[in-house]
Amino acid sequence: MIAHIAWRNVWRNKLRSLVVISAIALGLWGGIFSYAFMQGMGEQQVYSGIHTETGHIQLNEPKFLQNYDLQRHIEQSERVEEQIRQLPGVKGVCDRIELTAMTSTAYASRGIMLNGIDPQIYNGVSDLHEYLTEGNFFEVDNGGVNPIVIGQALAEKLHTDLSSRLVVTLQDYRGEISYASFKLVGIYRLHNTEFNEQMAFVRKQDLQKILRLPKGYVSTVSVLLDDTKQTKVIQGQIAKLFPNLQVQSWDELSPMLRMMSGTMTQMSLIFVFIILLALAFGIINTMLMAVMDRTREIGMLLSVGMNQKKIFTMIVLETLFLSLTGALAGLLMSIATVNYLGTSGVNLTAIAEGINALGYSERVYPQLDPGFAPQFAVMVIMIALLSSLFPAMRAIHLKPAEAVRGE
Amino acid sequence: MRNTMEVIELKKLHKTYEGIVPVQAVKGVDLLFGKGEFTAIVGPSGCGKTTLLNMIGGLDAPTEGQVLIEDQDISALSPAELVDFRLWNIGFVFQSYNLIPVLTVKENIAFIMELQGRNHKEINDRVAYLLDVLGMKDKMNIRPRYLSGGQQQRVAVARALASSPKFVLADEPTANLDSQSTENLLELMETMNRTEDITFLFSTHDQRVMDKAHRIVTLEDGKVVRDGKQEKVE
Ligand SMILES: Nc1ncnc2c1ncn2[C@@H]1O[C@H](COP(=O)(O)OP(=O)(O)OP(=O)(O)O)[C@@H](O)[C@H]1O
Ligand SMILES: [Mg+2]
Repeated sequence: MIAHIAWRNVWRNKLRSLVVISAIALGLWGGIFSYAFMQGMGEQQVYSGIHTETGHIQLNEPKFLQNYDLQRHIEQSERVEEQIRQLPGVKGVCDRIELTAMTSTAYASRGIMLNGIDPQIYNGVSDLHEYLTEGNFFEVDNGGVNPIVIGQALAEKLHTDLSSRLVVTLQDYRGEISYASFKLVGIYRLHNTEFNEQMAFVRKQDLQKILRLPKGYVSTVSVLLDDTKQTKVIQGQIAKLFPNLQVQSWDELSPMLRMMSGTMTQMSLIFVFIILLALAFGIINTMLMAVMDRTREIGMLLSVGMNQKKIFTMIVLETLFLSLTGALAGLLMSIATVNYLGTSGVNLTAIAEGINALGYSERVYPQLDPGFAPQFAVMVIMIALLSSLFPAMRAIHLKPAEAVRGE
Repeated sequence: MRNTMEVIELKKLHKTYEGIVPVQAVKGVDLLFGKGEFTAIVGPSGCGKTTLLNMIGGLDAPTEGQVLIEDQDISALSPAELVDFRLWNIGFVFQSYNLIPVLTVKENIAFIMELQGRNHKEINDRVAYLLDVLGMKDKMNIRPRYLSGGQQQRVAVARALASSPKFVLADEPTANLDSQSTENLLELMETMNRTEDITFLFSTHDQRVMDKAHRIVTLEDGKVVRDGKQEKVE
């Protein structure tokens, strides 16, 4: 019965209630949408990061990544790769030779990460070849020359273009400095500027020759999985298989990606919470007005025997109904918007330059994960309960004799 | 020997409203009200009628003295206990703002019994009976604001009576009503007093209402100056 009265009380002053409900709905619409936007952005970034940069899991000799020491390679890499390929949930495995080097043109020189890969196998694990803006990803035979593929950002910094020669300075297996000349055959463009500027790709067999590496030399093994959610489990399995190797997951390899996937969503959830907090003041104000307007009625209720507990409950329920109606409207509006823009995407080309520098793509597909609704419900109920306390206290502190006396 | 039929006993009741100038609204009232009485409290404006009724109803605490309801001193009760005491023992009719605007006539009449947590059959039977007495069956599903002032007060009386309280307190129940509505309301109160032996205590300024009372207590400046029975007027 109290709930029944409370619900009808919400609609007593329709205009006043609708104003707050609209405020809540619009505020949350904005909040939830930006949450979905951030999440879509993060998720996309994580996906493309994994599929171009890190793979899901990477194996190295434990100290290799400290200074990319060529001596610290993976022993019996073929056996390692074969065993990983057998694991369920593994989509592809590839290896590469990774080392730091310098590259120079007549204009400039830059430090780079040189990746010696087998293009065919590498393409099974990485989508990088899809991001080529010029040339090819080792698909065309160049005769005797050593081909190299670099990022657009690096090409610009070096003032070089397709078919030009790049001189690369590196330390060979025995620590001696050597030089090699490469022909620029492909330029890729990734959203991640840092990657763009540093990652250069050459054929493994060329690098092996230049560096005079032993046969089967591999510094890094990358693993791509069917499902990103399986990362931790399979990482554990692999780590158990190869206790002497360092086994890292994408989020450990790229703190940037970890931030995208976790922190960003947490942050936008806090943003939603702050909007709710601001709305709380509107709710408190409205409910206080509702209580003050009904001083005599509440006095009458107290007089005829409706106890403080019930009156308190009534005001709390009124606040909850009011807030939940607004929140539900906001949530439905957000879901509709996210559903629509989740398929068509939000085009950010106008600000794409800046966005790229942060490692984001131009088109964002907002998304809401199913876990959001309960989190959101808990927040709304918390805020509503909090907002109801003050008006409800006001109501039960009314004195019946004074409240019923006519002014 | 005490008369066990006494419902309300007031002992040396005083009420002073504190303020910059303290107001002595009630100054030593001793009164007894028996079961089934139909009593009017009268007197000039400001003589303390509302103050007295509020103390009897446990809405306000006396500064001095005692209010005994069937020998229970209600000034000893905590505010929470008092709400409960009112719920189970006293019916209230105010001058206005009696009804809950968001509930229908029927729901308003049932309200006190709902608060008491009575079972649905009992509530429905009682409400149906009262609607019949009111002659407002056709209006049972509408909200109070669509009723005339007189009809609203009749519903308020029905609501107060529904739970069969020990007595009903009515502070100027007819003050906002025209003469016809006043007569109808008084008739309803009298009928219920007669048929259900419900004790009524009401304040009024209206001579016609006083004429219907069986006993008239006159207050002046916070004191009882006259207390007389009168024959029922036919
Ligand atoms: N809350 C209060 N604070 C201070 N003084 C009050 C308060 N309530 C009533 N009074 C004073 O107490 C006195 C008695 O008031 P009360 O309302 O009981 O009179 P009444 O007989 O009901 O008058 P009326 O016929 O106008 O309703 C008056 O002088 C009034 O001004
Ligand atoms: Mg009065």
